[in-house]
Amino acid sequence: MGKINILKVTDLHKMYPNGTHALKGVSFEVEAGEFLVVIGLSGSGKSTLLRCINRLIEPTSGTIQFLGRDTTELSTNGLREVKKQIGMVFQQFNLIKRKSVLANVIAGRLGSIGTWDSIIGKYPQSVYDDAMECLSLMGIEEKAGVRADSLSGGQQQRVAIARSLMQKPKLLLADEPVASLDPATSNSIMQYFERINKEFGTTVICNLHFLSLVRRYATRVIALKAGEIVYEGSPDEIDENWFKTIYGEEAEEVEIR
Amino acid sequence: MTKRQRDEQKIKRMLAENKRNERRVNFIKAALLDIFLVFYSILVMQRAIIYKFFLDMRDVPFSWGQISVIFFISIVAGVLWTMTRTSLSCTLFDVAKEGKASKYTAEVFGWFLFDITFIAGWIVTKISLIDLFSKDGLEGAQRIFSALFKPEFGIFDDVLFATIETIYLALIATLISIPPTLVISFFTARNLMKENKFTFVIYYILRIALNFIRSVEPLIWAIIFSVWVGIGPYAGMIALLVHSIASNAKLYSEAIEGIEEGPLEAISATGANKIQVVWFGVVPQIVLPFLSFTIYRWDINVRMATVIGLVGGGGIGTLLMQYQGLARWNEVGLIVLVIAFVVWVMDYISAKIREAIY
Repeated sequence: MGKINILKVTDLHKMYPNGTHALKGVSFEVEAGEFLVVIGLSGSGKSTLLRCINRLIEPTSGTIQFLGRDTTELSTNGLREVKKQIGMVFQQFNLIKRKSVLANVIAGRLGSIGTWDSIIGKYPQSVYDDAMECLSLMGIEEKAGVRADSLSGGQQQRVAIARSLMQKPKLLLADEPVASLDPATSNSIMQYFERINKEFGTTVICNLHFLSLVRRYATRVIALKAGEIVYEGSPDEIDENWFKTIYGEEAEEVEIR
Repeated sequence: MTKRQRDEQKIKRMLAENKRNERRVNFIKAALLDIFLVFYSILVMQRAIIYKFFLDMRDVPFSWGQISVIFFISIVAGVLWTMTRTSLSCTLFDVAKEGKASKYTAEVFGWFLFDITFIAGWIVTKISLIDLFSKDGLEGAQRIFSALFKPEFGIFDDVLFATIETIYLALIATLISIPPTLVISFFTARNLMKENKFTFVIYYILRIALNFIRSVEPLIWAIIFSVWVGIGPYAGMIALLVHSIASNAKLYSEAIEGIEEGPLEAISATGANKIQVVWFGVVPQIVLPFLSFTIYRWDINVRMATVIGLVGGGGIGTLLMQYQGLARWNEVGLIVLVIAFVVWVMDYISAKIREAIY
C-alpha cells in the first residue's frame, strides 16, 4: 500500500445556525486504500463530518485537503470536479423512487454528462454498459428495469452503491449504510464495501454503529464524542473501557451476527 | 480548552442579548396591538351600538376631529395598559407579568371583544326574523320556487351550448396556465431559493406578487378584463387564467417544498449541476401532485366560470344573468338544474382521476 494521503482534515469546525457546535476542531488523515470507520453516538457529529468532506454541508472553519487540494477554497465548478471523485451512500438509500434501477445507477454519472443530454436522456452506449456492469458487480443486474421503490431495503442499498460506483470514486463515503437494514443484510452490504475496498483499492470512510461490524471490516477507527475525536487507532484495541468512554457509562455492547 | 470556554461564553452572551432584544420588540408589538384594540372597542361601541342601535340613527355622523380624539385617547390608554403588563396583548406576545391578574384580564377582555364584535355584526347585517317570515316574503318565495321546479325545456339547446362554452373556457384557462405555473413554482419554492441572497429576493418578490393576484377574486379580474378585451368568454378565460396561475403556483411550490431532501443530496453528491439536481431529484417527486392539482383546478375553474359569466365572462353564467334580469324563473330553473348537474359530474370525474393517479 502506497503512503499517499488521500484526505487530510485539519481543525474542522461546524457551527449550525441554531447554535449547535457539531464539530469542534476535528483533525485526521486518511491514506489511500484504507477502510476507515467512524463510530460514535447519534448526534456526535459523524454525519456532519462525512457531509463536510464532500461539502454537502459547508464547514464553518478548518481545511479539508482531498488529493492535496483544499476543497474549502474551491469554486462551484472545482467543487463539482471533487464531488465527481467522491461517491456517497446514505442510510435511507436516497434513490429516485419512481425511476427504474438503471436510471438511478446512470444518475451516478451525471457529473460527466451535459445538462441537456441528461434531461432528454441521451447517453452514450458506454454509460449503459458501465451501469449494467456496476449492477452485476452488486449482483442485481436482473432488476435493472424495475422501479427503484419496489425493491427491498438491502437491494435498494445495493443500487445506491452501484450508483456511487458509476463515479469510479477514489473515495467512498458511507453514512450509516446498514442502520436501516436487518443484521444478515447488513453483513452482506458490508461485504460489498469490503470487496470494493480490496479489489478496486477505493478508500472507504464509513459511519457505523455496531462494534462487531467495526472489528470485522475496519482497518482503522475514529471515535467521535460531542464533536471531538476521542479515539483513533486499530479496531482491535477498542476494549470495554474505550467502549464506555465512547458510548457512555450506561452502554453495553450488543452482538450482531 | 480556554479558547473553547471563551467561545461558549460568547455564544451565551449573544443568546442572552438576542432574548432581551426580542422582549423589547415584543413589548412594542404588544403596545401597538393594545392601542388598536382600545381604538376598535371605543369605535365599535360608539358607532354601531350607541348610534345605530340605541339612537337608531340612519346616517351616522362622521368627523375627523372626533376620530382623532378617540385615537388619541386610545394611544394613551393603550400604552398605559401595556405598561401594567397585564393586558391581553402582553399575554399574546408573552411579555405579561406572571400571575392571576394577566390571565383574568386576558380572558375578560378577549370575551368583551368577541361580544361587541358579534353584537355590532348583528346590528350591521340588519338581521330580522320579521322579514324572513312576512306574508309578502313567503308568497314571493313560493312563486320563485314553483317556477324553478318547472324548468322551461324550450331553451335547452341554448343552455347546452352555453354550458359547453363554459367547460371549454375553463379547460383552456387551465391548460394555458400550466407552463407559466411550472416555471414560477420553482422560483417560489423556499427550499430551492433560500441558498443565496439574490435568489431569495426573487423568491420574496414573486411570493408577494402571487399573494396579491390571488387575493383579488376572479370575479374582479373578469370585470377588469371585460373592459380590456371586451365582454365575452375571452375575458372570462383570461380572468380564470390569471387566478389559476397564482393559485396553482402556490400549491405546486408547496409540493416542491414538501419533497424528500435525500435524493437531492444524493444527486448533488455525484457532482451533478444545479439543473440536473432539480431534474433528477425534484421533478420525479412532484409530477403526480402537479397533475392532481391541475385536474382539480379545472374542476374549480368550471364552477368559477359560471360565476364569472354573471359579470360578462361568457358562457352559462351570462345566460343565467340575462334570464334572471327578465324575471323568467322557469328558464332560470333549467339553467340552475344544468349547472348543478355539470358541477356534480365534474366533481365526480376529477375525484376519480385524482384517485386513480395516486
